[in-house]
This record gives sequence, C-alpha cells and structure tokens, in this order.
Amino acid sequence: MTPRRAMPGCALAAVLAAAALAAPAASQEITLWSHWAAEQPKRQFIEEAIRRFEAAHPGVTVRATWYEKNALYAALRTALRAGQGPDVFYAEPDQVEYVQNGFLLDLSQGIDWANVEPWAREIWTHGGKPYGLPLEAWTVELYVNTRLLSELGWQMPANLQFTHGQLLEIVRKARERNIVPISAGVGDRPFPGAFLTHETLLMRLGRVDYGRLLKGEIRWDDPRVVESLRAVRALVEARAFPPGVATLQLGQSHVYFHTNPGTVFFPMGSWYTSRAFNPPDQGGQPADFPLGILRMPAPDNAACPTCRTIAVGGSYVINAASRHPDKAKAFLNAFTTPEMGALWLQNVMVQTGIKADVGMVTGPRAGYFRDLAAANEGSEYFFGIPLQILQGRARDTFTQVVNTAFISGQVTVEEVVRQMNAAMGAR
Amino acid sequence: MTSPRERPAWGAIVPFLLPATVFYLGLTAYPVIRTVWNSVHEVLPRREAYVGGAHYVELWADDTFWRAVRNTVTWALVAPFLEVSIALLLALALYARVPAARILRIAWFTPVLMSYVVVGIVWMWIYNYDWGAANAILRAVGLGHWAQPWLGTTDTALPALIVVTTWMWTGFNMVVLLAALHALPTEVIEAAELDRCGWGAKLTRVMVPLILPTILNLLVLSFVGKMKIFDLVWITTKGGPLWSTETVSTYVYKRAFEWSTFDLGYPSAIATVWFVIVMSFVAVLTWMVRRQQKLEY
Repeated sequence: MTPRRAMPGCALAAVLAAAALAAPAASQEITLWSHWAAEQPKRQFIEEAIRRFEAAHPGVTVRATWYEKNALYAALRTALRAGQGPDVFYAEPDQVEYVQNGFLLDLSQGIDWANVEPWAREIWTHGGKPYGLPLEAWTVELYVNTRLLSELGWQMPANLQFTHGQLLEIVRKARERNIVPISAGVGDRPFPGAFLTHETLLMRLGRVDYGRLLKGEIRWDDPRVVESLRAVRALVEARAFPPGVATLQLGQSHVYFHTNPGTVFFPMGSWYTSRAFNPPDQGGQPADFPLGILRMPAPDNAACPTCRTIAVGGSYVINAASRHPDKAKAFLNAFTTPEMGALWLQNVMVQTGIKADVGMVTGPRAGYFRDLAAANEGSEYFFGIPLQILQGRARDTFTQVVNTAFISGQVTVEEVVRQMNAAMGAR
Repeated sequence: MTSPRERPAWGAIVPFLLPATVFYLGLTAYPVIRTVWNSVHEVLPRREAYVGGAHYVELWADDTFWRAVRNTVTWALVAPFLEVSIALLLALALYARVPAARILRIAWFTPVLMSYVVVGIVWMWIYNYDWGAANAILRAVGLGHWAQPWLGTTDTALPALIVVTTWMWTGFNMVVLLAALHALPTEVIEAAELDRCGWGAKLTRVMVPLILPTILNLLVLSFVGKMKIFDLVWITTKGGPLWSTETVSTYVYKRAFEWSTFDLGYPSAIATVWFVIVMSFVAVLTWMVRRQQKLEY
C-alpha cells in the first residue's frame, strides 16, 4: 500500500479513534428515578431543571423515569440491593434505612447549601452529614371555608387560631345544621387522620417534650398526653369527622371539603394546593371558593400555642454506588438557586427547602401565599410528622390507632394510650 | 442385562425434563430453601448475621402476626363453604334449566375473569359510605340506620371482604360443579327416578354423594387461595382498620418492604411458619380427599 493510498485510511482511523475517545463524555448519562409521575406541576419543574442542567453541561444527559410512590419504593428496594440503582432518586427523610445501609452519598461537599434552608438540611442530616436535597416542604394547616364559618355565626379570629373549646362549639353548631364540620380521609394514607391529634400534642407538650414523646422517653399515659387525647376525643364524640372517614381517600377528602358536601374545616398539609388549585373538573376547588387558613386549635394549658409541624417531603438523594457522583451533585445544584426556588413556589404552590422569596410569587395565587405566610408568622416549628420519626411497630400502631381508629371513634383514649405504650417499647 | 430397547432413552428424557427442572429448582425450590435460611439470619444488604431462633421467638410474641393468622384462617375456613354451597345451588338451578340459563351462567361466571385490583376498586365503590350501592339500597328501603362504612369498621371489614371473594369465586365453582353434574351417570339418576325418589332425596342421596370428590377438591382449592390472599386486602384496606383485615401475606409484605428496614430475616421467619401451617392443612385436606375417593371407588 502506498503512503498516498494509506492516507485516507489513517485519517479515518484517527477520526474514529477521536470519536471513540470523545464518546464516553458525549454519552455520559445521569439516571433519575422520581415520584410525581401524575403530579404535573412538580414534574414540569423537575423537567425544567433537567433542561437547564443539560444546557449548562453539554454532553451530559439526564434520563428520568417517573413512578408513583409505592412502585418507586418497591423498585428501589430491589435495585439498590442488587447494585442496579439509579444515580439520583426520590426519597423522603423518614427513609432512614437508606442511610443506615450505606446507600446514600454524603452530600457535605459539592452542594450549594448556602441556598438551602438550614432547617431543611438539618432534617436530612444523620451523624453530622446531609444526605438529601430537600425540595418539597410543607406545614400542617387548618383550611377553612370562611363562608360556612360565618353562616355558623363565627368569624376568622384575629390571631388566626381558635381554642379547642371554640372549635368544639363550632363543631356542635355545624352538626345542628346537618353540616359535617371537619373533612378528613385516611382510606389510602397513613397520616392525615393524625394531624389534629399530633398538633394538639405538640402545643400541649411543647417542642422538647413532644419530641421526647415520639422517641419513647415520655409515656403516653402522661397526664398532658391523656388530656390532649381527650380534647380530640371530645371532637370525635361530637361527630366532627365524616362517618366514612376510615375509608374516605385523600383525594375524596379534598372534594368533601370544598365541593360535596362541603365542610367547615380541613386539617391538611400545605400541599393542599396541589389538588385544590387544579381546575374544578379535575378535582380542584370551585373558582370562587372562600378559602381561609388558620393555625391548628390551641388546647387548654398549651405549653406552646405557636408551635406547629413543618415537614420535608419529596427530596432527591444520590446513590452511593453512582458512577457519576460529581455530575449527580452538579445536577442537584441545578435546583439550588433562588430562581429555581421561586419557580417551585410559583408552579407547585407548596413551600420548599430551597431558599426562595415568597415576594417573587406573582399572579392569581400570590394572595394564597400571603395568607399562608400570615398563618405561619411567629410559628415555632417542630420538624417532621410522627410518621417520619416513629419506626417499625410504633409507626404501624400509630397509623392504625391514631390515624384511623381514633378519629373514626373506634378506640377510646385509654385504648390509644395502651396500644401506643406497648408499641413504643416494641421493635 | 437390559437390551438397548429397554434402556431409558436419556438422550430424549433429559432435554424434556431439564427446562422444567431448572425452572422448578430456580424459582420454587431455591426460594423456599433460601427463605428458611434467611429466617435464622439477619439479612441486610452486604451483610448477614446468624441469629438462630431469635426471629421465631419474637414471632411467638407478635400480636399482629397472630391477629393476621386468625383473620386468614377465618377467611380460609368460611369463604370456601360459602362459595361452594352457593355455587352448588346455582349449578343445580342451571342443571334444572331455569329460564335464561345461558345468560345467567355467563353473568355468574364473569366476576372470576376480573383481577383482584378491579374487583377491589369496584367493591370499594359499592361499600362507600356516602354514595355506595350497599348503603344506597339500605337507605332506599328505609334501613338507613344500618348504613355504615363497611370496610372502615373493625366489626364489618373482614366479613365485607369475605363477601367480595365469595361473589368473585362462586361462579368458577358453579361451572365446575355444573360440569360434574352433567357428567353424572344417567342410569343412576333414572334408577332413582324409577324408585320414585323425590327432588330432595335425589339431590342429597344420589347427586351430592356422587359429586362429593369434586366438592372436596373445590373446597381445598378455595382454602389454599384464601390462605395466601393479598391483592384484595392491599387494594381495599391495607389490613386496617386496627389490623382487622390483616392477613399473613399483607403482614409479610409490610415487614419486608414497609418497616423502615432492609432486613429480610423476620419476614422470612413469618413466611416459613406460614408455609409449614399451610402445608399441614393441605396435607390433612388432601388425605381427606383421597380417603373419600377410596371410599367412592
């Protein structure tokens, strides 16, 4: 072969070799497994973050797979065990088993924590190391139909908080007029039925002792706990909740509150908006719905009437076995900017662990955020709902007893105390 | 010395047996052995530790497990008798050629064609407190005070689910029994009629005894199906309220996948104990069926 004839061949080989060398960088792919398959606003927000990340990192792509939560958790359990997990995945702070078994990457370095709320980082911190990027945050609120409230002869209190005694009076008055006072549905969720109970316990005990109660350091037969349970039991006996509360599902409980049959109150996480602000034909509240936001009612002798729960929900974590940990961290940093924080608020209408200025939210829902901020003003936060703190049998018992049976009137205060004391001491 | 003709044709036998054997060993035998092995270990990702009988000791004192056993056994004992007895009545109605028998046969058989997921959702609607058909009918006939969240109270949740499986499986049992009735020797039936045997006597003294092996087989099948029931409970109640519909299968799943731990040891101990219990029941029932068949023939 003459040199002249060999030339094109060499050139081709050189091009192919260069392409081969360049190939790994060009095909670098971050895999993401995420909940929120059916929650369009959140999904659109994540897809926007992916778009921005890919634009800023040419040659790196993010392949997202969307799941519903239970399917995602089941898939992750087997995939992580088999070393086949994605680089980045959705998790919530109560999934401590991921940390305990070394599945999560320590995010101390490489994440722009300056743009993340310190309390949100704290919730994901184990052994002094943060393991998750807290995207979704929420508080426990008492939503009100202000029109029904005024029809019953009551107005929104100036401090945005009724006492338990006042709430009981409103419940009785509503029942006299054949109105179901409080909507709740626990048929498909392990926590909404416990909102009123755990917020009462939190206010009565104060943050420190409430935390000790959930850690098993204070027994459930403590007089303050029993007193709090009795306050909730009085509401149950006054038929405050729907008769079918034990089987009513979360989505149905939203409609039950704002549309049919319509209730006065609705204790719910501040992600109420993700369903209620949909168009009415997709389960959203009516356009002219008179929505108000209150603090949970304060019990008598409350140690901390301004206490309330704030929780971190949907978060992203990095698989400790990821082959692209630096790129995965860079992807998470696509979320940690004030612009993205504001975009989350604007699109998703729920609080976030990313620092964001509520004032940046404009448009028709801006008023909602002002009301939410007013209801939260001066609050002292306790981090995490009981379900995120209790583990094993205590968690299962709390779900079955406090979340479902207690508010549906199937167990007495004494039975709740007995069951919870037994469960807190078990595995 | 065996002749080449009498020697087993291993060259032909092995290829036929091998795939099934591999599947059986890989997908049935190994998982069973592995589950038993897991039950005496703490099985965490990347580490396993021998714990001896600790899981079994814990299981002995586990109230939820025993509640699940009680619920499952109740279901497995009650449902088969309901299904088979109602199915027998329906099969006899079809055998007697009631009007619209063809349509009725299809209608009664249809539920078994649906998955538990669909059936579960449909019955959740039927049992809905506010607008479900069950309460709507009660209210319409003036029995509104009986209306209640059927799946939401501890007294009614399990019976309500037993009604669902009965509705679902009666049609299947009916078809099998109808086939058995049609297969009865006509000379025996005719002989009974010549002897002026009435409908009741013909049924109880001739037909039912002749189809008893079929009935027993259906009872065993239904029993085994209920001992492992999972999907319907998971869709409708997730074991609640207050564990009143918890079955052993749902409890194993919760302990394995929803207990904030990756440990598979304890759930494996539950599965092992339950495997032994179910196998014991099945062995006794099989012995009863065989004994019955021996008596028959």
